[in-house]
Amino acid sequence: MPDRSQSAAVNRRHFLAAVGGAAAGGATTLPGTGDAAAAPAAEAAKSSDPRVPHTVTLTINGQDHQLSLDARASLLDTLRDRLGLTGTKKGCDHGQCGACTVLVDGRRELSCLRLAVMAQGRQVTTIEGLAPDPHTLHPMQQAFIDHDAFQCGYCTPGQILSAVACVKEGHAGDDDQIREYMSGNICRCAAYPNIVAAIRQAKTEMGA
Amino acid sequence: MGAPVARIDGRLKVTGQARYPADTPLHNLAHGVMVTSTIARGRIRSLDTTAAASVPGVLLVLTRDQAQGQLTAPKFGTGGSTSIQPLNEERIWHDGQTVAIVVAETPEVAREAADLVAITYDHDTPSAGFDASGVEIVDGAGASPMYPEDPKAGDFDTAFKAAPVVLDATYNTAAQHHNPMELFSTTAEWNDGQLTVYEPSQFVAGWRAQLAKQLDMDAANIRVVSEYIGGAFGSKGPMTPRTAAVALAAKLVKRPVRCVCARAQGYTTATFRAETRQRIRMGAGRDGKIRAFSHEGWELTSRPDDYVVGGTETTARLYAYGAVHTKVQLVKADRNTPGYMRSPPETPYVFGLECAMDEMAEKLGLDPVEFRRVNDTQADPVSGKRYTSRSLMRCYDEAAAAFGWQRRLDAGVWKTGAMREGDWLVGLGCATAVYPTQVAPCAARVRLTADGKALLQTSAHEIGTGVRTVAAQTAAQALGLSVEDVTVEMGDSALPAGPVAGGSVSTASVCSAVLKACGAIRDKLYRAATVNSGPPATPESFTLRDGMAVLDSGRSAPLSALLQKLGTTQLEEYAEFAPEGSAPGAVEQLRQGNPGIMGGAKGPVLMYAFGAEFVEVRVHARTGEIRVPRMVGAFAAGRIMNPRTARSQLMGGMIWGLGAALHEMTEIDPRHARTVNRDLQDYLLPVNADVEGVEVILVPETDTEVNPAGVKGLGELGNVGTSSAIASAIYHATGRRLRDIPMRLDTLLQLQQT
Repeated sequence: MPDRSQSAAVNRRHFLAAVGGAAAGGATTLPGTGDAAAAPAAEAAKSSDPRVPHTVTLTINGQDHQLSLDARASLLDTLRDRLGLTGTKKGCDHGQCGACTVLVDGRRELSCLRLAVMAQGRQVTTIEGLAPDPHTLHPMQQAFIDHDAFQCGYCTPGQILSAVACVKEGHAGDDDQIREYMSGNICRCAAYPNIVAAIRQAKTEMGA
Repeated sequence: MGAPVARIDGRLKVTGQARYPADTPLHNLAHGVMVTSTIARGRIRSLDTTAAASVPGVLLVLTRDQAQGQLTAPKFGTGGSTSIQPLNEERIWHDGQTVAIVVAETPEVAREAADLVAITYDHDTPSAGFDASGVEIVDGAGASPMYPEDPKAGDFDTAFKAAPVVLDATYNTAAQHHNPMELFSTTAEWNDGQLTVYEPSQFVAGWRAQLAKQLDMDAANIRVVSEYIGGAFGSKGPMTPRTAAVALAAKLVKRPVRCVCARAQGYTTATFRAETRQRIRMGAGRDGKIRAFSHEGWELTSRPDDYVVGGTETTARLYAYGAVHTKVQLVKADRNTPGYMRSPPETPYVFGLECAMDEMAEKLGLDPVEFRRVNDTQADPVSGKRYTSRSLMRCYDEAAAAFGWQRRLDAGVWKTGAMREGDWLVGLGCATAVYPTQVAPCAARVRLTADGKALLQTSAHEIGTGVRTVAAQTAAQALGLSVEDVTVEMGDSALPAGPVAGGSVSTASVCSAVLKACGAIRDKLYRAATVNSGPPATPESFTLRDGMAVLDSGRSAPLSALLQKLGTTQLEEYAEFAPEGSAPGAVEQLRQGNPGIMGGAKGPVLMYAFGAEFVEVRVHARTGEIRVPRMVGAFAAGRIMNPRTARSQLMGGMIWGLGAALHEMTEIDPRHARTVNRDLQDYLLPVNADVEGVEVILVPETDTEVNPAGVKGLGELGNVGTSSAIASAIYHATGRRLRDIPMRLDTLLQLQQT
């Protein structure tokens, strides 16, 4: 699993490559700065117009999707509006509630804070792709049912993906740790004690 | 019924397949973004949409110019959240008032264009809240049909003056926002003059009627769909003006339009729980009996609308007081109109009362549990009406035993700071939970087919309460099927009219209607079974079990055989349930948008559910950090249809109470009357790490009077009383009486310094 600093660097490079295009020639060339790079800069300015669609390939639940995207489109909106994967929910669009949590290369991330173009080359897992097949539930999904770990169900996909990552990170050692590491996912119905119980159960079944 | 069945929609919810309204896939969908005002009071001087409209991909900038004459503002109190349709308005009544809706090909373009709408205002100085100049104060009584009068009994002044032990204290509760996880949204689609609206709603039947009025069209051409709702808590009960406005936008662009509000916009374009201030005076005898009780409340509301909760309706009847005086006043300020939020009257008013009960118990030197027992009553001190059932003290006794209340008694009941553990000051507290038992008209259709399956339809709403599951359980038991064989369709105004998912009416109302429809099916099956079948069986011995009709011992027939006998492959029954005492045509009224809620203190007897909540609080002696490691609640709410979902609701309610006590407060800038903390980072909500042990005890109670299902409802019971139990425990831990919620560490630190 990549550590935080590496992952951040890769994200930034991907982002700049995607937004600036090849003509930008790297992160140091900014549109309109320096006379030596006038021509490439003009090109960069043109292609960094966010309204100009970018063609990207996103790998979602193991499947490649080629899309033409507004550079400003979040991964969340892209999943929901372009790919019809509405299991990922929008709760705040500000990275404050956790409802849009997905797994990116196995790590839990907030899809509202990631531009879709930054997800190129990444393995994105949404709630629709968590179980191995449509007839089977992931142990975490089953545990959420068994412990009534939701009411309205809106935060649930995010809770479940976050919980899977929480176990894999080794942050489900005891109830206190689960509570701490699941506090980025708000449940307004407040099923928290049942969520903790579900994670405890699934953790055993996940062999963690 | 009564079995802890897992939610029948659980699999859909854990796999992301449950379809919330904003998930609805629609062809050629356009995206709307609202533009809201940046002032709280004044007028729009100019509104320039040129730049916004010129962004490629923008389809429409809907402002009052385009909306003119096409949207009728609702009358307040008839199902609309406010009496203003902001797109008709030049006047700004409150912060964050909708002034335009931008519709574009993509959400990104719509957001870009929304930022380019240029507005200038003529500012007036707004009144932000209670202590601002320029507020208007009016009587609550009579301001709304919901609160006709201030309950009163006897001569309070004389009784209070004569009482040997008296209390006079003021309490404040903060403004709060529901903040359901699902953002507010409207999706509207027109097809040949037929409008379909997909929106999270607690009352699709009423919204259809409401939309018909606001869009001046026939309700028959409108459908409102809200199959799954991502939390509501009252916020999706009354229809907000956005719904009709987005429908208009879709009509103008001739495409389906989806408008998802930003989280921040939800604070001002929907409703909220208004702040209250309460003064309580209480006089008691040395014997612990309360002789005089006065509860005065001030509630904030908006300039145009008299929204009143009047929790005195409940507090005036809670104990055997002697003389009772109450008065509710509305303070009208430049704010958006408040609205129902989980236990709207009881949450704030019972906080005040139960804090006062704790303080009075101390003055009397009584165990706070015993003080409640001394003043327990089976009849209303105001009207003399009896409670159909009231198990308050049983709740106290069961919760006290499970919680270990004796620890506090052993430590000296009023010895504060006596349970210190290192740097942590430990305190134990308790309070009463109470909520009116209400029920509403409801229609339901049940179809039984020869394969032993049933389909149940009602427009009622699954907002997370578990009513979908409970309805399936009810039909399954009545028809002798397994729960898996029952399919439930809900949340669509095309279905038989169901009640508003408010006032904790859903389970009682829906199950009463389902029982009626199933009863009619059962009657037909009984008649079929007894035709040419030898000696007659009695209706009592006739049972439906495991997909079979059992006439009596030894004689049974499969359902398919009975249907064949009736010459059909299915039996379908439509039933309308109306609560006792309802006006004729209650279900038709429901279709017109009148919820017709009955019960509580309104009828000839009092119908209420009760509970007792105990909490342990730990306050850090140096930092003032407040933790709640343990909460125990015991509740008696009539028949429990599904203990599993019931526990979850009550547990969630208690955690709501914890949030109200320690976290939640919508901060209003006193200078500009604008909401400061309009997001989930700055509006504090309980998160997982804030919650530790929560135990729910279901106290058995049978009440056949409240409704045919015997259900009292418990969606709103759990969060009443919690905040006062926490205040009581904080006092026990620290010796500090906190009378305002939320209670935060900065308050404690300030107190420590004084």
